[in-house]
Amino acid sequence: MKMLHPDQLDRFFASLAPTWELRLPILLPDGTRVIGCPNDAPHSLHGAPVAGKPTAAFFPQQSTLFTVTDGAIEEPPPADRPLFIVGFHPRDLACLRFIDRFFADGCRDDCYFRVRHGAAIGGLSGYCGPAGSLIPPAGGDCDVEFFWDRSSWLVIAYSATGNTLIADLPETAAPEAAELFPQLAAELPDENELLIRHASALLRANRVPDLFWADIGDRCIACTGCNLACPTCTCFGVQDWRSAQKTERSRMWDSCQLDGFMREAGGHNPLGSEAERTRRRIHHKLAADPEKWGEISCFLCGRCDSVCPTGIGIISVAREMVARFA
Amino acid sequence: MKRSLTVCPYCGVGCTFYLVSNDGRLVGVEPSTTSPVNRGGLCVKGWNAYAFVHHPDRLTTPLVRRDGVLHPASWDEALNLVVERLQAVQATHGKDAVMFASSAKATNEENYLLMKLARAVFGTNNIDHCARLCHSSTVTGLAETFGSGAMTNSISCFDQTDVILIIGSNTTEQHPLIGSRILNAVQSGTHLIVADNRRIRLARHAALHLRHKNGSDVALLNGMMHVIIAEGLADQEFIADRTENYAALAASVADWTPERTAAATGLAAAEVVAAARLYAGAERAMIVYSMGITQHSHGVDNVRCIASLAMLTGNVGRPGTGVNPLRGQNNVQGGCDMGALPDLFSGYQKVADPLVRGKFAHTWGVSSLPSEPGLPLTRAMDAASEGCLHGMFIMGENPMLSDPDQGHARTVLENLELLVVQDIFLTETAAIADIVLPAACFAEKEGTFTNTERRVQRLHKAVEPPGQARADWEIICALAERAGYGGMRYTSPEEIMAEAASLTPIYGGIAYGRLDRHGLQWPCPDKTHPGTPIMHQDRFTRGLGYFTPVAHRLSAELPDAEYPFVLTTGRTYFHWHTGSMTRRTHLLDREEPRSFIELNPDDAARLGIRHRDMVLVSSRRGEITTEARVTGMVIAGVLFMPFHFAEGAANALTNNALDPESSIPEFKVCAVRLEKMP
Ligand code: SF4
Ligand code: SF4
Ligand code: SF4
Repeated sequence: MKMLHPDQLDRFFASLAPTWELRLPILLPDGTRVIGCPNDAPHSLHGAPVAGKPTAAFFPQQSTLFTVTDGAIEEPPPADRPLFIVGFHPRDLACLRFIDRFFADGCRDDCYFRVRHGAAIGGLSGYCGPAGSLIPPAGGDCDVEFFWDRSSWLVIAYSATGNTLIADLPETAAPEAAELFPQLAAELPDENELLIRHASALLRANRVPDLFWADIGDRCIACTGCNLACPTCTCFGVQDWRSAQKTERSRMWDSCQLDGFMREAGGHNPLGSEAERTRRRIHHKLAADPEKWGEISCFLCGRCDSVCPTGIGIISVAREMVARFA
Repeated sequence: MKRSLTVCPYCGVGCTFYLVSNDGRLVGVEPSTTSPVNRGGLCVKGWNAYAFVHHPDRLTTPLVRRDGVLHPASWDEALNLVVERLQAVQATHGKDAVMFASSAKATNEENYLLMKLARAVFGTNNIDHCARLCHSSTVTGLAETFGSGAMTNSISCFDQTDVILIIGSNTTEQHPLIGSRILNAVQSGTHLIVADNRRIRLARHAALHLRHKNGSDVALLNGMMHVIIAEGLADQEFIADRTENYAALAASVADWTPERTAAATGLAAAEVVAAARLYAGAERAMIVYSMGITQHSHGVDNVRCIASLAMLTGNVGRPGTGVNPLRGQNNVQGGCDMGALPDLFSGYQKVADPLVRGKFAHTWGVSSLPSEPGLPLTRAMDAASEGCLHGMFIMGENPMLSDPDQGHARTVLENLELLVVQDIFLTETAAIADIVLPAACFAEKEGTFTNTERRVQRLHKAVEPPGQARADWEIICALAERAGYGGMRYTSPEEIMAEAASLTPIYGGIAYGRLDRHGLQWPCPDKTHPGTPIMHQDRFTRGLGYFTPVAHRLSAELPDAEYPFVLTTGRTYFHWHTGSMTRRTHLLDREEPRSFIELNPDDAARLGIRHRDMVLVSSRRGEITTEARVTGMVIAGVLFMPFHFAEGAANALTNNALDPESSIPEFKVCAVRLEKMP
């Protein structure tokens, strides 16, 4: 296990710049924290998970798929360096693992893997949560994990790429830290974890009546934020922009909270109300995905609850569901 | 990858977000998590605000009409031609033969400059903007009663109130991030009174939903005031200390008994009483209103009644109270503040006042400024057809779709000697212009917008404008220069704001250096002032609050045997005004791809119209075809239609009946006939 002093961070990251296109949590002028370029703003590794989903690096809100000029199809040029993205909390890593599977399954998504392939992932954990709280380590699912032990970063690699990345860092002076990892991970049974499992069981047992969804749906303003902020939401819409010179096809994040998402060409919509759409969004993650993928596809990152202007992110809805129908 | 903090270009809530760009192309938005306005959220329009920016339809070069066709031209040619031809129109027909339409979409700095251009360079007060069509009734009505025509309180007040009366505002659709605050407030125990005969989302959460007749707001509000006085619920101390002319108000509502109110509004008497008790009984109550109040031929009267109701119960000047007109466009507040109005300079300083004129003339370096108030936008079409107006310069507006009585608007615009349009797309109006100037959009420039709670916030440039397009402020400065005026040389919008602030007492303390993080709320008179979240705390801007008694007047055009339905117009959640941006945003256009009209199931059954049938709607001014949406949203006898769509344009039907004081058109009531298409 290696270590990194906080005052060595900048030098370490700068040393990677020739080979890697680095992204990490930064603090923007108004106090918003996002994953961005180290040169744009001071880095900010401590605190809650950043607001935007870190998976946006591989699946951005809008991306060009290809352009057609005089019948010739051209794809966007590959990046000159692979991405190294630091800032995935353990729950974000679970989300990434899930969408990696999703985009690879069946018809592999070229556009996603064009950026994802060869990229390195850095996890963040330790006492760097909000107000110094503990984020249990992931212990895998990334190339390298940075664990804040309150005075320095313990750095551990889980892949060959990870080993190369941190080869030049010194070994930690406290080897017992390595044993701490599994212990810490086991230590914190998460209330939300129990809650979401409970909600999932209720849904799968058909114990949640339509009236509940009508109540919740009445509070949805169809902002789409819950979908756009969610690292395991993978739906997109496709558009063509035609001009005299070329046609450009791009895709953008879509949302199942929108009426147009499921509307049939004839105008009928099998999910024609907010109630049905909200039910679908939650049902997808808590009931349908467990059947298809063997796991609930909400990893409790908390983003939909932070972004929803009316307080009906998945954790709030699960709490209400369990309170009313358990 | 780059992030630029900016302000949403759609509604007046003023959410802030980062535009994310990569190699000069926008790839998405990320909401500001620290903004006191949006607190990390956005509505669907904000989330998609990046999406139209690089659209291939963007205007990239100036266009000049030759032989009836618009041809690309150089900036030199286009700018010279604009100046020459404006001057030629003025030489032949007089200074006031031209009119400048400013834009509630443009920045404060650009609104300030266009009004300076009109007044200092072209010597006319014919400058106005679309506030005329939305909240001119507020500006007039609240200026009279409170002394200032803006939202009295702050968005944060929605978290601290006991009762909210929402009248004529579909808040969750038109001011979504305020609507969501209201929904949250309900979850924490706030009671809602929704007075609107459409069953809007908030109505589903309301303690009382009053579905009163269109155009009967004065009757309803007078009736509520009657009950409050009769039952001893008025705040006598506030009335005595802070207001004047109470006796006249009390006398004027004395005979508005619940029974008479019920007859005039179509409500039950008990509903009027219950609403009055709930509102007046609250420790802190807010009134929220929007165009359902203002867009009537008695819009100013509606506003006066609202002001009286709040004063009567002492609901002004404290947290969680107030009269809260929600401003529609992203910068319609700023457009008014900056004096893009025919009778006012920036900061609501009257052009009729010689001292004020002297101050502006001195700073602008001109010998005199015109003293007669100019034409309001809604009178421009008539002035042109009467031969008093011959040239128009329109910045970022699309009156072909947004003005009432479209047929009339088209004829007038087509017959002008000169029509110049400065915009980001070739709108329906730009398409008939003589000269078109390509502008930068919100993402491509610096400046400030002022939101509905009077918060002045900064835009930061994220990407370059397409082709040769330029920021509106740069174009205006170039025009001034070519017109021989040397007083518009600025290197940045920051310099423009410094000049505007020096001339505008309510903006006196506004400076770019002070706007970082979350902006400042005016009044902000000096550089150390922290801004004003709540107005009229110890005294009203005019001193004492003024009660104006109001008599109930009927709408200008009522249904009759020939045109038996009331048509009311508005917007939908997914589109913005004339759709030039939202209809070029894939997800938004997919959501509402075409024009529609809402009608009640009973009316539909009677006329044999089914959901999604095509229908023919006609009024005395025009007819259109559109798709029927059969829904309990509207009551029997009333139809609702959004005005965003060029095909099936609601404003082919509407009535340009104006409020005599504010000149706002009666978009909310006209009489129409409805038939199923054969
Ligand atoms: S908490 Fe919300 S945003 Fe996060 S994974 Fe679950 S559903 Fe998605
Ligand atoms: S974030 Fe909330 S309001 Fe927005 S679409 Fe999702 S559930 Fe609806
Ligand atoms: S609420 Fe208004 S300002 Fe906020 S994102 Fe939506 S349109 Fe933009």
